Amino acid sequence: MAKRSTSTAPWRRTTLALALGLATSLGAMTTQADTLRVGMSGGYYPFTYVEQDELKGFEVDLMNAIGNITGDDVEFVTASFSGLAGMLDSRRIDTIANQITITPERQEKYLFSDPYVYDGAQVVVRKGNDAIHGVEDLKGKTVAVNLGSNYEQLLNELPYADDINIKTYDSNIEQDVALGRADAFVMDRVSATQVIKDKPLPLQLAGQPFSRIENAYPFRDDEAGAAMKDRIDEALAELRESGKLSDISEKWFGTDITQP
Amino acid sequence: MHALDFDYMLGLVPILLGYLPLTLEMAAAGMACALVLACLLAVIRVTRIPGLNAVALLFISFFRGTPLLVQLFLFYYGLPQVLTFLVAINGITATILGLTLHFSAYMAESIRAAIVGIDRSQTEAALSIGMTRAQLMRRIVLPQATRIATPTLMNYFIDMIKSTSLAFTLGVTELMGATQKEAAGSFLYFEAFLVVAVIYWIVVEALSWVQKWLEQRLNRAYQR
Repeated sequence: MAKRSTSTAPWRRTTLALALGLATSLGAMTTQADTLRVGMSGGYYPFTYVEQDELKGFEVDLMNAIGNITGDDVEFVTASFSGLAGMLDSRRIDTIANQITITPERQEKYLFSDPYVYDGAQVVVRKGNDAIHGVEDLKGKTVAVNLGSNYEQLLNELPYADDINIKTYDSNIEQDVALGRADAFVMDRVSATQVIKDKPLPLQLAGQPFSRIENAYPFRDDEAGAAMKDRIDEALAELRESGKLSDISEKWFGTDITQP
Repeated sequence: MHALDFDYMLGLVPILLGYLPLTLEMAAAGMACALVLACLLAVIRVTRIPGLNAVALLFISFFRGTPLLVQLFLFYYGLPQVLTFLVAINGITATILGLTLHFSAYMAESIRAAIVGIDRSQTEAALSIGMTRAQLMRRIVLPQATRIATPTLMNYFIDMIKSTSLAFTLGVTELMGATQKEAAGSFLYFEAFLVVAVIYWIVVEALSWVQKWLEQRLNRAYQR
């Protein structure tokens, strides 16, 4: 008995050391690969916003649900919207959860996950402004958009783009329209509707949405980005299947914005 | 017009105060580094070390001649495109770096003025009784120069605390960044920015008291 235990002890110790070493090196590897740094503005109600010091919103809930499935440690990084793409390029973050619309230009540069929100571009005006009924009435008007957003591009593609005074903002476009400094702002229909419903700003929708948009997660176009994209697509499909994706949408919008 | 939402403002105070330490830390780190750099620059300027003097002049000219916001964008967004390893610089480090370089340029000039302002006859007297240059600086010039420079240096420190608010443009959630986010979520802009203005004001007011106390202390030798 005693003899056997002394002979096995060193062997055991070696295995233990080996196992520990392997575990720690594996642990180090996995923590590096499994921390998903997600960029968002934190100023886009109700997709991503801060209330009482807590980051909340549809994007936060959905990304956490995805992390639960993939096992990734989700780390949210907030920065101004116009700075997010630069942070993705410079590897400060791994993807952006901020209703990034898929456009041909962006597709040339990034890999996109499957779309998870289907929405439309919406013109919003100050309450009581009945001169603007939609995108065709923006001629000669001052229109606020977020710097670097696809809405800026949508306006620029209009045949009468030269007659629109497009003003780009880093944040707070809703406030400048409510104050009357800009005649209208263009944003997605879903969050515009929600802001008008929940918040004290005097705003109203002007006409119907004028462009269909599909929003997804962008990734850097390299091997690691492709692997991450596949992992997240799988998780998205699972959430879609189980109805969890619709549930999150219902929670924030009272309607399902995740179906094509 | 909407009525002020006092409950919201009161609720915001403890949340925003949680970000005050970061604001003060950035200012304190910036001030410490700027003081060292400014003293170095001032000594170079006073002693007119050939070569170095020209470099110091160029440095001061650039960092006094360009806005702090431009310098911050240059360090955080611009330089990493040219020198890729600089991507490692985060927003907080970039802010401290920007504050250091920007304010050291101003502070170097006021420290230099304080040193040059000491009457030349004192220097001659000290040298005539056999003091070395180093002794002259340490025993005669610097104690007096410190007293002269302190009020302006404190002013720069106060300015620096307020300038940390620019860090929110680099994605740092400090006092101003936290306020901007809360405001964007609640859409109660007036309430949120009023609260943060009062917080900055109180901090600066408290520092003004420290400044007054410090000046009185340094003036003791001159009171009869």
